[in-house]
Amino acid sequence: MATIDANKPDLPAAGAKSHPLYWKNRGFAHHFRNADEQFDACKLGMWLFLTTEVLLFAGIFCAYAIFRMLYPDAWAAGSHHLDWRFGGLNTIVLLFSSWTVASGVRAAQMGNNAALIRNLVITLICAGLFVFIKLYFEYIPKLSAGKAPGTFFSYPYAHDPHEPLWWSVYYIGTGIHALHVLIGAGLLSWVLVRAIRYEAYGPTEYTMVETSALYWHLVDLVWIFLFPLLYLIH
Amino acid sequence: MSTADRTHEPDHDHHDEGSYLTPKYGAMGTVWDWMTTVDHKKIGVMYLFAVLFMFFLGGVAALAVRLELLEPVRVAADGAITGQLFAPAGAESINTGNQIYNRLFTLHGAIMVFMFIVPSVPASLGNFFLPLMLGAKDVAFPRLNLFSWYIYVSGSIFGILSIVLGGVDTGWTFYTPYSTTTDADHWRVLLMVLAAFVLGFSSILTGLNFIVTTHKLRAPGMGWFDMPLFIWAIYATSIIQVLATPVIGITLLLLIFERLFKVGIFDPGLGGDPVLYQHFFWFYSHPVVYVMILPGMGIISELLSVHSRKQIFGYRAIAFSSLGIAAVSFIVWGHHMFTAMGELASAIFSALTFLVAIPTAIKVFNWITTLYKGSIAINTPMLYALSFLFLFSIGGLTGLPLGALATDLHLHDSYFVVAHFHYVMMGGTVIAFIGGIHHWWPKMFGRMYNEKAGMLGCVLVFIGFNLTFMTQFFLGTQGMPRRYASYVDEFQFLHTLSTYGSWLILAGFLVHLFNFIHSLVAGPKAPPNPWGGLTLEWETESPPIEHNFHHEVLVQHGPYDFDTVVPPHCDERDFPLPPQDQPPASH
Amino acid sequence: MTMPPAAPTSTVPEAVAAFPADAVAPVRTLPFDGEGLQGLFFRTNGTTDAAVWTDGLFMLTFWFSMFFFVLLMGLMVYWCIIYRRRPGVPAPVSPAHNSKLEIFWTVVPSSSMLVFFFLGFWGYMDKVVPAGGALELSITGQTWDWTVEYPDGTQSAQMTTLGGRDNVKIHALPENTDIALRMVSTDVIHSFWIPDYRMKTDVFPNRYTGYGFTTPKLGPEDDHPEGRYRDQWVFCAEYCGDLHSEMAAIIRVVPQADYEIWLENQGSSGDPVIDGQRVFQSRCATCHSVDGSNNIGPSWKDLYGSERSFNKAPPQIADDNYIRESILNPGIKIVQGYQNQMTPFQGVIKDEEISNIIAYMKSISVHVEQPAEGEAGEDAPGETETGAGEEG
Repeated sequence: MATIDANKPDLPAAGAKSHPLYWKNRGFAHHFRNADEQFDACKLGMWLFLTTEVLLFAGIFCAYAIFRMLYPDAWAAGSHHLDWRFGGLNTIVLLFSSWTVASGVRAAQMGNNAALIRNLVITLICAGLFVFIKLYFEYIPKLSAGKAPGTFFSYPYAHDPHEPLWWSVYYIGTGIHALHVLIGAGLLSWVLVRAIRYEAYGPTEYTMVETSALYWHLVDLVWIFLFPLLYLIH
Repeated sequence: MSTADRTHEPDHDHHDEGSYLTPKYGAMGTVWDWMTTVDHKKIGVMYLFAVLFMFFLGGVAALAVRLELLEPVRVAADGAITGQLFAPAGAESINTGNQIYNRLFTLHGAIMVFMFIVPSVPASLGNFFLPLMLGAKDVAFPRLNLFSWYIYVSGSIFGILSIVLGGVDTGWTFYTPYSTTTDADHWRVLLMVLAAFVLGFSSILTGLNFIVTTHKLRAPGMGWFDMPLFIWAIYATSIIQVLATPVIGITLLLLIFERLFKVGIFDPGLGGDPVLYQHFFWFYSHPVVYVMILPGMGIISELLSVHSRKQIFGYRAIAFSSLGIAAVSFIVWGHHMFTAMGELASAIFSALTFLVAIPTAIKVFNWITTLYKGSIAINTPMLYALSFLFLFSIGGLTGLPLGALATDLHLHDSYFVVAHFHYVMMGGTVIAFIGGIHHWWPKMFGRMYNEKAGMLGCVLVFIGFNLTFMTQFFLGTQGMPRRYASYVDEFQFLHTLSTYGSWLILAGFLVHLFNFIHSLVAGPKAPPNPWGGLTLEWETESPPIEHNFHHEVLVQHGPYDFDTVVPPHCDERDFPLPPQDQPPASH
Repeated sequence: MTMPPAAPTSTVPEAVAAFPADAVAPVRTLPFDGEGLQGLFFRTNGTTDAAVWTDGLFMLTFWFSMFFFVLLMGLMVYWCIIYRRRPGVPAPVSPAHNSKLEIFWTVVPSSSMLVFFFLGFWGYMDKVVPAGGALELSITGQTWDWTVEYPDGTQSAQMTTLGGRDNVKIHALPENTDIALRMVSTDVIHSFWIPDYRMKTDVFPNRYTGYGFTTPKLGPEDDHPEGRYRDQWVFCAEYCGDLHSEMAAIIRVVPQADYEIWLENQGSSGDPVIDGQRVFQSRCATCHSVDGSNNIGPSWKDLYGSERSFNKAPPQIADDNYIRESILNPGIKIVQGYQNQMTPFQGVIKDEEISNIIAYMKSISVHVEQPAEGEAGEDAPGETETGAGEEG
C-alpha cells in the first residue's frame, strides 16, 4: 500500500516485539496529522457504520410492527411457540459477552495483553454458545415441527392463517441478527489472532479493539430489542 | 494498518513528485498499480470512466426505447400489426415486442439509477476533489475507498450479467408482487436485485468515508464555513447515503427471500403487503433522489462562482439548504404513492412534500443573484451551469402539480412524471456532471479541451433535451401512461418529436466524446489554474502530484474571495481585483 | 402477424351489438380541440366538475411557475449579457448576502406552497369520495384486462379496436350520473386511470380500493351517425407486465335510455356457445386466439379433444376436466412451448361460465363432431410449434 506510511522507531527486539504490528511500533497513515486524529476518524467511521446497521434492522422492526398491527392474533399465537427461557438464556449470554468485550478494551488500554486475550476468548465462547442455543434448541426443533417461514410452513396445529408470516419475520429477524453475531465474532477473532501473534494492541494503539467492541455492543443491542418483541410480548 | 511497503519515510514536502498519472512501472505494472491503488484520484478517475460507460449503456437503452415509440402499434383493418420495431420477423403477437420493450426500459432505469447517477458525481468528481478541496492528502479510509470501488464493480457485473442472461422486466422499482412472480424460472431478476443490493454497500461506504474525511481532514485554517459549497453538497449527500441506503438493503434482501423462499412479507396471498414494499422502497429511493441532485447543485455553486468571478450569494443559505434538503428528503417518500394510500397519509405527505420546494427555491434564487455584477465568462462549464438553472427550474416547478393531491391523481405514473424527473435528474444532475467534468477536466488530466466544440455539444444537448422532454409534459397531461410500449394514435405527433430530440442529445454527447478524446491525445497542456479558481484544488499542479500538494496546506482565504485575492498561479492582469474603496463583503 | 381474421364486429352476435346501431360504433373520444393553453395541455377542457377543478389548479400552478420562471430566466440572461467578461476589467464589489431579500424570497414562496397544498387537498377529497347513491361498478384488474361488473352482475361483451389490440372492451355508462368504483386485482398491482376524469387509483390484490366520478352531460357535439355517445379511454397506469400498454378499455357515455337497452343486450343469450364466446371475448381473448395463431397462451382452435403435450406432466386428451383444471389452476400443467403466465381463475369465474366456455371450445374444434355446419378445419393447431412470443 504505497501511500500508507508509518512512523517506525527502531526497536531491536525478539519475537512479536520486533514485529511492525507490535503496538509500540505502530504509526499512523500518512494522510492523518497524528495518531489521535486517525483514532478519532476510525471511531467516527464505526459509529456511522453502526447507524447503518441500526437502520437495516429498523426495516425488520417496522415489518414486525405493521404485521403485528394487522394480524395481532397470529403474532400472539406465534409468540407462544417461542420459549422465553432460551431467549432469556441467550440474552444473558450476550450481555455477559458485552461485559467481557468491554473489559477487553480496558485491558488493551492498560497494556495487559493477557487479559485482553482472556476476555476475547470468553467473548468468542459466548458467541458460539449463542449460535448453538439458537440453532440446536430453537431453529432445528421448530423447523422439524413445520414451523417454517412463508410457504414452507407445514405446522398442522396452527391457530391463525397468518402464522407463516410471523415465522417469516421471526426467521429473518433472528437470522440476520445471528449473521451479525458471526460477523462480530469474525472481527473479534481477527483481533484475537493479532493480539496473540504480535501483541498488536496497547495503550497507544487499540483502534481495532475499540471498533470491534463497538460492533459487538450493537449486536447485543439489537438482540435486546428482538428478545422482548419476539419472546415476551404476546 | 498495512504491513506492506513501509519504506516511505514520513515527510511533508513532495517537491520532486510527478503527476499521479505518470506511470512508474511497466505496462502490466501500471495496470496492477491502478488496480490496487488507494489514491483517491486514481479511484475517482476509474469511477469516472466506469460511470460514463454505464451512462453509455443506459443511453443506448434509452435511444432504443425512444425508437420503439416513434410509431404507435396499430391493428390494421386486415388484422396486421404495424408500428412494432422490436418484434422479430414472423412473430405472431405483439407480445414479443412488448417484452423486449419492457426489458429495455427496465435496463435503462436500473442502469441509470443504480450504476450511473447515484455514484456519478460523488464517486468520481467527489472522490477526486473532496480531499483536494479540503487540502487533505487522501480520504480518511483509502483502502475502504478501493474496497467500495470493487464492490461497485462487482455489483455492476451482477447487473450486466442479468442483462446478458436475458434482461429483467420488472421496472427499476421492482414493485411486488410483479417482481416476485415474473420470470419465475430464471435467476435474472434475482441477479439484478442482488446488483442493486451490492451497489448499495458501495454507496454506504463511500458516503461514510466522505463524512469522516470532511470532519477530520480539513486543512488547518478551514472551518466548516470556509468549505467550498461542493463539499457541503457532498457532505449532505453522504449523510443521506449512510442513513437511507441500509433501508433499501433490507428491502432488497426481503425481496430476494421472497423470490427464493416465498416468505410472504410482500405477498398478498400469504397476508403480506405489497404497499409495505413501496413504503420501504421509497423510504430509500426518495432520499436517493437527493443523493442524485445535491452533488449536482454543489457543482453548480462552484461553476457559477468561479466563471462569473463573484462571491457566491448567500453562502450560508446555500450550505444550510443542502442540509435542509437532506433532512426533509426523509419525510416525503409517500408522495410516490398518492394513488395507493389513504386520505390522511396522502394529505400529510403532500404537505411535507411542499417543504422541499423551499430550500430548493432558495438555492436557485441565490445562484441567479450570484451573477449580478459578475464578470461572466461564456464557456462550456458556464453554459452548462446556465442550462442547469433553466432545466432544473422547470424540473422543480413541475413538481408543484405533482405535489398537489388533486392534480397528482391525474399526473401520477404518466409521461408528466417521466418528463419531470428527467428535467431534474438529467437536466439537473447529468447537465451539472458534464459541466463539472469540463470545469475540472484540465485539473484531472492536465489537458485543455476545445472550447468551441464543448459549447457546440452543450447547445446540442440543451436543444435536444428540451425537444425530448418538453413534449412529454404535454403527453402526460393529455393522458399518456408511462412504461407503455405502444399508445393510441392521438399521441404520435408528440412522441415523434420526442424521439427526434433524443437523436440531438446523442449528437451532443458524441461531440463531447470526441472532444475529450481529442483533448487527451492532442489537447494543449493545462495551466494549474485555468479558470482562476480559489478553492484548494487549483493550488496544486495540473494534474495533481501523487500526494496532492507540495506543502502542507494552510488555508488563508475563503473559497470565493474573488474581490480580495488573486487566484493562485494566476496573473493579476488576467484576473484583476476590483478597487477596494469599500470594505470587502464577507460571507 | 395474424390476428383473428374476422373483424370484431362480426364475432359478436348481432343481438349483443345492438347499441347504438346494429354494429359496434367506432371509438369517438372528444377531439384534440380544447381551447387555449389549457386545451393544449389537456386535449379537451375539463367536462366534469372534478376535471374542471383539476385543470384549474393545474393552470394556477402553471401561471405561478411561469411568473417565477420568466422572472428568473430573464434576470439570468440579462445579467449574463450586461455583465459578460471583459478582459482586464474586474467584477465590481457587490454584497455577498442580503438578509432582508433572502427572508423575503423564503417566506413568499413558502406561503404560496400552503395555498397549493390546501387547494390540492380540497380537489382530492372531491375525487376520492364517491357521491351517495352512485351507480356502483365492481372492477377487477387482471393481467391484462379489466373486467367491469354492473350492479346486476352483467358484463360487457362489446369489443373494439384500440392501438395494438382488437378486443378492447366497451363499457356503457349513463350520462350525468354519479359512479362509484370498487376495484380489486387478481394478480399484480394495476391502476385504473380515466384521463377524462383526471383520476386514477391503484388496484391491489386482496384489498378493495375505489373512487367516484360523475359522467358528463352529453351535448350536440356528441351526436354521431351511429347515435349520441362519447368515448373515454381507460388506461392501466401501474406497470403490470408484457401487455401493460394494451390493458385498455373504453368507457362509453350514452343517454340513460340507450344505457338501459345496452345493459339488457349484454345479458345471457340462452345459447351456451354464444355465451361461451362472450366469456372468451371478455376474459380470455387477450392471451388466447381462436384462429390457430400463437399468442401468450395456446390457441383454442381445435384444442378440445386434441392430445396435449406438457412441459412436465404426461400427455393428455383435452377433455372437460382438463379445461376446467386449466382455467382454475393453470399452473398445474404447462403446454409445451409456453410459460406459466396465466392467472388462476379460482374464485374469479363462475361454474356456469366454465360450462359455456367448454361449449364454445367444442364448437370450434375439429375433434368434436359439429351439429350441422362445423367450421372447416384448418391444418394442425399451431400452438405447440414454436415458443415464439415467450422469450424477450
